[in-house]
Amino acid sequence: MAEAIQTITVTIDGQEIQTTPGTMLIQAASDAGIYIPFLCYHPGMKPYGACRMCVVQVEGGRGTPAACTLPVADGMVVDTKWEAAKNIRDTTLDLLLSEHPNGCLTCHRVELCGPQDICLRNVDVTDRCVTCPKNERCELKDTTRYHTRGLTSPLTFVGRNLQVETKDPFYDRDYNLCIVCARCVRACDELRGDDALAMTERAGQVLVGTMFGDSLLESGCEFCGACIDVCPVGALTETKYKWETAARTEQTICTECPVGCTLTYEVNRWDKAIRAIPELNAPVNLGQACFQGKFGFDYVNDKRRITQPLVKRGGQFVEASWDDAIRAAADGLAPHAGDGFALLASPRLTNEEMYVAQKFSRVAMRSNNVDVVSDNHPGIASGLLEVFGYAAGTMSFDDLRGAAVSMVVSANITEEQNIAAVAIKQAVRAGTQRLIVIDSREVELTRYANLWLRPFPGTDAVLLAGLLRAVIQSDLGNEGFVEGRSVGWDEMMASLEPFTPEAVAGETGVTVEDIERAAYLFATGGPAAVLFALDGATPGTELNATRAIANLAVVTGNVGASNTGVMPLYQGANQQGAYDMGVAPGAMPGHEPVGDPETMARFASLWDSPIPAAGGAGAADTFRAARDGNMKAMMLLGDHVHYDDGTFGDVAEALAALDFLVVTDGFMSDVAAQADVVFPARQSIEKTGTITNLERRVQPLRQVLTPTKGDVRTDFDILCSIARAIGAPGFAYETPNQALDEIQRIVPEYAGVSYRRLLGEGVVTPKPANDNPLPTQVRYSDVVYPGLQWPCAAGAEGTPTLYQAAFREGRAQLGLLAWTERPPNPSEFPLTLAHGRILAQQDREAAIAEENGANRITRDELLVIHSVDATELEIEDGDAIVAVTDTGKRHFGVAEISDTVFPGMIALTTLFGALASEIQASTSPDPMNHLPRLTAKRVRVEKLGATDA
Amino acid sequence: MTEVFERLLAAATGRWAELNALPWVRVSTGMMGAAAGARDTLDALRDHIARSGIQATVSEVGTSGLCYAEPLVDIVVPGGPRVLYANVGPETVPEIVERHILNGEPVVPLALASVDADVPGLPRREQLPMMQHQVRIALRNAGEIEPADLYQYIARGGFAGLDKALGEMDPQKVIQEIKDSGLRGRGGAAFPTGLKWSFLSGNPSPVKYILCNCEEGDPGAFNDKTILDADPFTLIEGCIIAGFAAGASNGIVFIRHGNDSPIDRTRAALSACYANGILGRRVMGTDFAFDIEVSLVGESYVAGEETALMEAVEGKRAMPRFRPPFPAAYGVWGKPSNINNIKTISYVPEIIRRGAGWFAGIGTEKSNGTAIACLSGDIRYPGLVEVPFGLTMRQIVEELGGGDPAGKAVKFLQTGGPLGGLLPASELDMILDFDAMAAAGAMFGSGGLIVCNETRSVVDLVRNLIAFDQMESCGKCFPCRLGTSHMLEVLDRICAGAAHEGDLALMARIGENMRAGSLCGHGQLGYNPVDSALRSFGDEFTAQIAGSGVLLIEPFIGPRVTLRGAQADGETPTASVKNDFVLQLTPVSVGAGKARPADG
Repeated sequence: MAEAIQTITVTIDGQEIQTTPGTMLIQAASDAGIYIPFLCYHPGMKPYGACRMCVVQVEGGRGTPAACTLPVADGMVVDTKWEAAKNIRDTTLDLLLSEHPNGCLTCHRVELCGPQDICLRNVDVTDRCVTCPKNERCELKDTTRYHTRGLTSPLTFVGRNLQVETKDPFYDRDYNLCIVCARCVRACDELRGDDALAMTERAGQVLVGTMFGDSLLESGCEFCGACIDVCPVGALTETKYKWETAARTEQTICTECPVGCTLTYEVNRWDKAIRAIPELNAPVNLGQACFQGKFGFDYVNDKRRITQPLVKRGGQFVEASWDDAIRAAADGLAPHAGDGFALLASPRLTNEEMYVAQKFSRVAMRSNNVDVVSDNHPGIASGLLEVFGYAAGTMSFDDLRGAAVSMVVSANITEEQNIAAVAIKQAVRAGTQRLIVIDSREVELTRYANLWLRPFPGTDAVLLAGLLRAVIQSDLGNEGFVEGRSVGWDEMMASLEPFTPEAVAGETGVTVEDIERAAYLFATGGPAAVLFALDGATPGTELNATRAIANLAVVTGNVGASNTGVMPLYQGANQQGAYDMGVAPGAMPGHEPVGDPETMARFASLWDSPIPAAGGAGAADTFRAARDGNMKAMMLLGDHVHYDDGTFGDVAEALAALDFLVVTDGFMSDVAAQADVVFPARQSIEKTGTITNLERRVQPLRQVLTPTKGDVRTDFDILCSIARAIGAPGFAYETPNQALDEIQRIVPEYAGVSYRRLLGEGVVTPKPANDNPLPTQVRYSDVVYPGLQWPCAAGAEGTPTLYQAAFREGRAQLGLLAWTERPPNPSEFPLTLAHGRILAQQDREAAIAEENGANRITRDELLVIHSVDATELEIEDGDAIVAVTDTGKRHFGVAEISDTVFPGMIALTTLFGALASEIQASTSPDPMNHLPRLTAKRVRVEKLGATDA
Repeated sequence: MTEVFERLLAAATGRWAELNALPWVRVSTGMMGAAAGARDTLDALRDHIARSGIQATVSEVGTSGLCYAEPLVDIVVPGGPRVLYANVGPETVPEIVERHILNGEPVVPLALASVDADVPGLPRREQLPMMQHQVRIALRNAGEIEPADLYQYIARGGFAGLDKALGEMDPQKVIQEIKDSGLRGRGGAAFPTGLKWSFLSGNPSPVKYILCNCEEGDPGAFNDKTILDADPFTLIEGCIIAGFAAGASNGIVFIRHGNDSPIDRTRAALSACYANGILGRRVMGTDFAFDIEVSLVGESYVAGEETALMEAVEGKRAMPRFRPPFPAAYGVWGKPSNINNIKTISYVPEIIRRGAGWFAGIGTEKSNGTAIACLSGDIRYPGLVEVPFGLTMRQIVEELGGGDPAGKAVKFLQTGGPLGGLLPASELDMILDFDAMAAAGAMFGSGGLIVCNETRSVVDLVRNLIAFDQMESCGKCFPCRLGTSHMLEVLDRICAGAAHEGDLALMARIGENMRAGSLCGHGQLGYNPVDSALRSFGDEFTAQIAGSGVLLIEPFIGPRVTLRGAQADGETPTASVKNDFVLQLTPVSVGAGKARPADG
């Protein structure tokens, strides 16, 4: 039984408040709505005690303790307004203003003042508050106002006269405005584990800066923006829209990845989103964001947005009215109803849109060829479905934070599901979690790993089965759990027969000892969690790998209890929701299998329409069928990186072979250019709906923007209009809300998920006021919507951890494992490239070139090659070589011959900074949607002659 | 007696007899000796002895405290008297070797004193002015033994205290003994050591640290370094006893990098202890396990602050932590820790060996034992003295230190390090006593005593001290980071004859804010130099501000680090400027040519 939380009473300025022991006084006061001035303290971080603005007097205590570092005690009587404490604050503030441009800070009429006004105080234009990018959300300004400082100070003002650092991607650093509260340094260290920022110099010269280098690209910055979010002054600001001021703010969910962070967007008076600020009180991200969420939203503002429907007439697009375009689409699609039609959805769509999309395909087009385009590893969903009952992660991020062991399998998680990685990094650095990484690449998390297994690319499935066998053979499993909660032991054991330690070691290249070590750590280290993306898994092995992981969780009892579980790391933002809604060729809404007569009959009656009985084709099969001439019409909802990175082969060829193609998108993308009808679609920031993240948390999207140009509609509207034009029944929704009502009725897991609840159960947070200045990150949030984790019955609480009482079918069905050898590389691409990426490399110098006022990494990367291959290719250490992939991409580098890789494998580890500057320089309207994935590639290696270099 | 110690003692006795069977030459090559050129002297000595073909032992030892006499050479020939030679350069080496070592005749004209025997024409060592009143406990082996030679240390009574503690006492009894001895911390705060240890011993954590603080960044203080330089074993023995008493598992000796001689000698001594079973899993063959390591830090005065020290040990920037939690609960790596000054710990072996009563009998009623003072400035005999509490400052300065070399009057003492204060000559009769000094508002601190004669300017000295405090502020908390900078700027103005009206009040406001608002002692004490100078020499400030002052100060001779963008000479402050900081005193004499740095 949990211990009862003790409550103590503290009196602050005569007001009695209840709080818990161990709380710092400033937090207790803030919770009670009492403001104690502060500058270095931040509610999301540990206390620091530097600014001394929060000094108070404690009755019977000595001196003037700082409230941020003073733990409350029962019966404590505190005076925050005591004269001596006030004097300290005033003097400290005066001192502070002696090195921060202060003309406007101490002026009473600044609100009436414009940037070009002639100032009688002789305040230089560049020193004015109105010309500071943080003017309207500056904590120093608010705090100074609160203290009403006078116009004159006996202290000499000494400006720093430093050059503003503007050459790095995404954000500027103006250390002339810095007050050295070290919040940025602490955020980088304490919250993100990156240590890219540090304090420099000392005493009067003390400042903050980058660690080891002067460019963020090489210092280990992951461009998460955490430092900007906590900066109380204008020292750190987002470069883009730096000088724009917010007219209003709105909170919604980020759709760059499936973590589902709550972000507050600032919107300027021309209805452009200008800044994204992660929500401190959101249960998912706890005030953190990543480079994608923080800087990747700008595509919605792009001028190249399509604003009118386009219909291709005689090979040319012509603008059409919505009615005409809908009619054209309906007329073009209707004849192809049946298996010749496929619908592929972008993972950025809402649950309601996903639901309507699959209903459109199944009811209006009679086709089960419906899939979400980001799902290039369909084996993950089917594996989880088979063993546990739901194709979904079993745990929540809180479980991940609390796990004692975590295992991350082939996932570039710090880039692709960044906030999940933050949870791991924080726990590993705090010493509460041990980490096993299974990855053939060197990625950021391998640096945090207690154990890094580096299998040959594409052999994860074999290694995981070997790991499972090692756990069982060393008798490290949880027998009670297996016996009581699973079936299929004997069959699974029989299928494990070929996975002898030697065979596994031979196939994967990982030593038997390492496998045993990992087995021991995972099985005995305490509550354990597995996260897996299976990047680079060869097609067909994902199912085996997923079964092995699910089996491992069952065998060790690491599922269905808090701080344990299995989490698939999808790439698409709403891939989980897509599956829940039935956007899958083999699953109906609610994870019901397609083809089961009873299920199909139920849906036919629910939708009042016949639906196709047999399973359809997934995304990869669809494109294959199109190239083979077996697919006649397609509808693509949104653009995705997989259309151009080779995942589905030659997409252009496939689309060219179609009779009819409808695309909805924000931009004239490569696939849209091939369409017969293109509809301008709203982006997720422009619509309402719900979205489901990796931990099955259904969160409400709120409409931040309304497209100002043209007539841009939601995919929801577009799908419903076409369906109605075709004459299909059941598409008479007026709002997505009605679709959610239908989902609630049809999908029992969503039965309790309604807009009324999602928006009604918001958590109210403190509101800033003149007498309560708050940090930027807190000032916008009067309410936070935590969402609901399915399964959620009507009126019931959500389910943070799945399968606590039972699996979906009662017991887990242990999966069968099949030995799969990795297919041999074709002779023209004999090697396999494992491309990793890390934040910083202190032992190697990064060369930085300045180009058009921007820093760019120009160093020669190391291509690590095994001595056997090097000998064969006559490559020597230090030779300039190039790895050419089967998709034609060329990776130049310097050969490093090392036996840390396996024969046949080439390892390349680039700096994240290179990607960051690429994104910054990109001309693509939505570069974050086209981020290159670090999958294993088949390559050949060529030596560069003197002439090539 | 433990078996290990019995064996070591036997070996040590043998070694001591061996050493005394041959001519024994001890050269003081510690930091002070080396600075005075002892390396050359040592080379010359070895060279000559080798060439003359005599059998003699040449040892390198630490300073005996008679720094004015460095390089000091100490020669004893079997059967003859032991004689100290002062200021021995390579040029006088041949004569000394030939006459004293070869022929057994002390070279009286070159000699300073004799030890333990009368030599006609020479005073006995204890008759030297600087040696009077001295009682040597922590410095008992300084200059007497080779610092890293375990046997020599044991032969002079070393490790008997540890042996006694391990063999005859239990941890509680050791703590009680230390409590009874009245030993108080020598780092400045004078906290009772036994009580401090008992906080740590009550903590059940299996990993606990005893930290020995030798950061000692104060200009004018060199006693901690000297102990490690001259006799690291006494610190090691004390640290092990402290570890035993407090149930700690690890000791860390924290030294500023660059003090090579103390660092090397401490490391050598630690290896010797490990090799002989004094440290490690079974200390002296008992079940008590204890490890000691040396941890280095870059130049940072504030790294000597206990919480900043812990950050530095962890490899972070040396910035103080807030308290609570206190180190006894949450110290290095979050483990319970106890921080002691080197001197404090160095008293421990003798207290255990000779008993609490013996120690309590030395000194005054509440300040037991001895104080180690570092004399520098305008003084005839700069160096290191260990005197019992109860002596007056005047005795130390005028009798031991010999007063001003030119016979000028003493104007004031700068005590307690750069955060300490000024003690005007009128208060020289104050006795050395923690409580008496605290009551008078003076600090003994880490033991640096800088003597200034009547020609020295208080204003300039204060400016120098504040420049030091400003440069050494870690920059974490706002009152100290900004306060020291502004205070220095005001002092710069005053020194340059360009003071503003109300500058003294402004300094007071900044200073009081630092005192009340700063996070650690550096800021809290940062106003002390100004405050105490204003109390005793306020007139000098007013005169200087009014322009009728005794001087317009010469352009500053020390490297100058002021607010960013306000460099006196247009240079940006660089690392080298910071590293070279030495306390400089400017003589008061209008138009006098180049100012010269004071001694010490």
